[in-house]
Amino acid sequence: MKKIKAEKLGLTESVKRHLEAIGVVVGEVIVPSTITIHYPRERRKLPDNFRGLILFDSKACISCFRCAHICPANAIVMEHRIAYFPSIDYAKCIFCHFCVDSCPTGALRPTKIHDFVYKDMDEMVVHSEEMVETPEIVREDSFTVEYVFDGDVQLVKKKEKEELVPEVKPPERPPKVAAALNPENCISCRLCVAACPTFAISAKEEKTKIILEINVDRCTACSICNKICPTSTLGLVDR
Amino acid sequence: MQQKWEVTRPERYVEGKYFASLKAKVIDPGICSHCGTCSVCPVKGIRVEDKPIYFPNWEEECIDCAACVRVCPRYDYVPLNGMGEYIEILAAKSKRFKGQDGAMATEYLVSAIEKGLIDEAIFVGRDEDWRTTVHRVRDADQVNTLLTGTKYSFAAVLPEMIQSVREGNNVGVVGTPCMVSGIRKMQREIRLFAKRVKLVIGLFCTENFYWHQLSAFLAERGIDLRKGIKTDIKKGKFIVEYADGEKAEIPVKEFDPIIPSGCKVCQDFAAVESDVSVGSVGSKAGFSTLIIRQEVAKDLLDFMKEQGTVEVIEEVKMKIVEKLIHHKMEIHPYPPKK
Ligand SMILES: Cc1cc2nc3c(=O)[nH]c(=O)nc-3n(C[C@H](O)[C@H](O)[C@H](O)COP(=O)(O)OP(=O)(O)OC[C@H]3O[C@@H](n4cnc5c(N)ncnc54)[C@H](O)[C@@H]3O)c2cc1C
Repeated sequence: MKKIKAEKLGLTESVKRHLEAIGVVVGEVIVPSTITIHYPRERRKLPDNFRGLILFDSKACISCFRCAHICPANAIVMEHRIAYFPSIDYAKCIFCHFCVDSCPTGALRPTKIHDFVYKDMDEMVVHSEEMVETPEIVREDSFTVEYVFDGDVQLVKKKEKEELVPEVKPPERPPKVAAALNPENCISCRLCVAACPTFAISAKEEKTKIILEINVDRCTACSICNKICPTSTLGLVDR
Repeated sequence: MQQKWEVTRPERYVEGKYFASLKAKVIDPGICSHCGTCSVCPVKGIRVEDKPIYFPNWEEECIDCAACVRVCPRYDYVPLNGMGEYIEILAAKSKRFKGQDGAMATEYLVSAIEKGLIDEAIFVGRDEDWRTTVHRVRDADQVNTLLTGTKYSFAAVLPEMIQSVREGNNVGVVGTPCMVSGIRKMQREIRLFAKRVKLVIGLFCTENFYWHQLSAFLAERGIDLRKGIKTDIKKGKFIVEYADGEKAEIPVKEFDPIIPSGCKVCQDFAAVESDVSVGSVGSKAGFSTLIIRQEVAKDLLDFMKEQGTVEVIEEVKMKIVEKLIHHKMEIHPYPPKK
């Protein structure tokens, strides 16, 4: 066995090296060179389209089922409320946000909230009505931290509190609106009135007449009325 | 403006939802012809089966749209009768199909498909017990001997036709005079059907039956419909032809107790509102009598001649056709005699 012996340094060299070591430690105390974020007192600054917890707006939802169909993890089940609204099972959700991206009306919205826990599996199934309000979060943070990649990684800290629910612009509606393309086909069954998810179609009864009307401002051009009409009365026209 | 439109509906005959009016004015008094046009019902509540037309739980499920009373040919019933207007009358037979008479009903429908006039034709077939079944045909190859030939029982042609139209097809249809009238009324009321129902073939008809009544009636007289390969009414006799060539015959007069009340107020023998009417009487065995009423039917006959699928002979014994037309008017007075 070979024993490694410490190098014999002279007194001056030894003191010099010790002072150097102390200098590094003092320097690290004053300006640390770690890239660790001191969560929860600091939070990483996240982009507005960060794929975190999902919020829901029942007024915007048109029950088109697109979110449920596109979900690759089968985490979304449409449940009947006043219409069919999505529930999300966070035990299955893979945070791909295909649902958010596929929602034609912006009823599903992204947030930057990623730090949430559930007590049990049942609780992980989040129903539409539980997705409306932003959950209450205890915030201890007063800094945001941003990584800046400029040759070396740099941390940029700012004293600020970030809004976790960003304002997102709802997707643009198709420039279309429902219309009675063939009013002579209408049998006044009013299935369209019942089916319209945004209550855009109304029917008034005047003696033996039924007067039907589409509210252009409410119509989202989802085309459900067109699909349900048994006599091909309705369709979409340019706005 | 395309965002506002209105629909005018008939007066209600009785208080309550519109189906109540149909029931009170047509079904309950027994003048319903069982044509099945009311199956246009958007909630599919009105049933066309082997019993009088009904709508289970209509008090709840009727959505009060009035479509049924708008299309019902008996809601404001004025009997049609006579020979009706026509372009020409002749006798013809199909060279490729076997049918009741000259298989011209079948030839017309198939030629309409081949000419590109329609996407689908609605045929009435039957099961082993001679219950009627309804079929959609898109191709000559689909026609078989169960689809041609007369079944003397109500058939749910109209529900199938309506469904086909809703699926976006142009359709051709063959039916009894009441069905023809139902289709015409529906076409006047709902434009969609005027656009999509391209060919309406009417059959000569005196009466039709509920299957359960007809089969029970024949069974009581020792006739097993299951063994029959053809049914016919000729010279006042109902005839069931068996596979071995034997025939059973019963005078039509004896059928009186099972004639549906809706048929008893019908005077339209020659289907006067059809594009072309097809019947047995008036032409020799193996030929169908044709009353061509509309250009569409005339054009189709020209097409068949070009294709070489028909044999046409001019002579039709008009006297006997007229006799049956008048006979039906006489035996079916409206309002009915008490
Ligand atoms: C109930 C009834 C009563 C009839 N009464 C007379 C009569 O009194 N005098 C007369 O001359 N002719 C009558 N006919 C017509 C005749 O029997 C033949 O149907 C007609 O001559 C056509 O024959 P074809 O060989 O050209 O038809 P085919 O080519 O054999 O085709 C017959 C067509 O009739 C359809 N069909 C069969 N049964 C029914 C049904 N129950 N409802 C609707 N469609 C049906 C089939 O789909 C088929 O397309 C009657 C027909 C029916 C259905």
